[in-house]
Amino acid sequence: MTIESVLLVSGALFAIGAYGAFSRRNLVTVIMSLELMFNGVVIALVAFSRFTPSAALLSGDPVTAEAIRSALTGQAFAIFVTAVAAGEAALAFALVFAMYRASESVEITDASEMKN
Amino acid sequence: MEVSTLTTIAFWAASAMTLGLAVIVVTQRDVFRAAIALAGSFLGVGIIYFVLSAEFVGVVQILVYVGAISVLMAFAVMFIQDIAAGSRPAQGRVVGAVVAVLIFSAIAFTAYNTNWSTMDEITDPVAVAALTESFFEVGTGDEIEIFLEAPLDSDDVVVESGGVFVNGTGSLGVLLVREYMLAFEIIGLLLVAALIGGLLMMRDPSGRKSRTPEPEPETGDTSV
Repeated sequence: MTIESVLLVSGALFAIGAYGAFSRRNLVTVIMSLELMFNGVVIALVAFSRFTPSAALLSGDPVTAEAIRSALTGQAFAIFVTAVAAGEAALAFALVFAMYRASESVEITDASEMKN
Repeated sequence: MEVSTLTTIAFWAASAMTLGLAVIVVTQRDVFRAAIALAGSFLGVGIIYFVLSAEFVGVVQILVYVGAISVLMAFAVMFIQDIAAGSRPAQGRVVGAVVAVLIFSAIAFTAYNTNWSTMDEITDPVAVAALTESFFEVGTGDEIEIFLEAPLDSDDVVVESGGVFVNGTGSLGVLLVREYMLAFEIIGLLLVAALIGGLLMMRDPSGRKSRTPEPEPETGDTSV
């Protein structure tokens, strides 16, 4: 397990999500694909936090507590991204329900009311 | 930072589970089965976080994704009767496949052609010991010093932290409320905004206050 292999898995998950977002017509499955892409990004963040040192630790200056904790910056970002993704999922489903109530359909090809 | 064989096996097993179930999510026509596969895929990602020694992120992943978002998906599938018809593929299938292959090859190329700096480049013995074992912070305010062993004759405040690679949860908490305090607060605000926005959008647009069924308004055009 090196950073290359973890990034490979992260990229594969992102690519699968991208394919799903393009190829499905049902809005719910499109949102599922977006969540897969979110997860791919977060895996990359955690991998960078695990395998690469922060600049503060390589500078050669005397070690401070901030420099040591900066090794966990990727994990902090992972938590922020997860929180944003959770809010985004809730709002997306509210939109899907609103669309279903308005047009009795959840297919993206029917979501053309705002055209023209 | 040596990685044991067992860790590597666990990583590849979790990756296979994640990617396999993700493929099922994007190819399965039955939306409910796709939602179940998605929950399994999220669980695999959580295992990957544990393998990468990011325990707290792994627990958050399982609580938020496997626990909350998957249930939200299942509710969405059950609410929308139309979904029983299945998720038909759209015309963008070929475009999607091409885009996915391009993204994946770009990421793989970058991952294998970049000279990543490794943890072995940290030469400072204090830093290495503090990262992998534990360290003590002595003092307050701007005058904090790092020690590897607890100073016995100190009158200052002494705080012990686990090495961030073996027991990082405490240090992650400190990081969240010190360096990223503002971002942490804004995330809370964002979640409240999402909550209120979701409630507003879910409200019945006709503005009826009660849940009691009212007689249907008699209009001629029932189907639009």
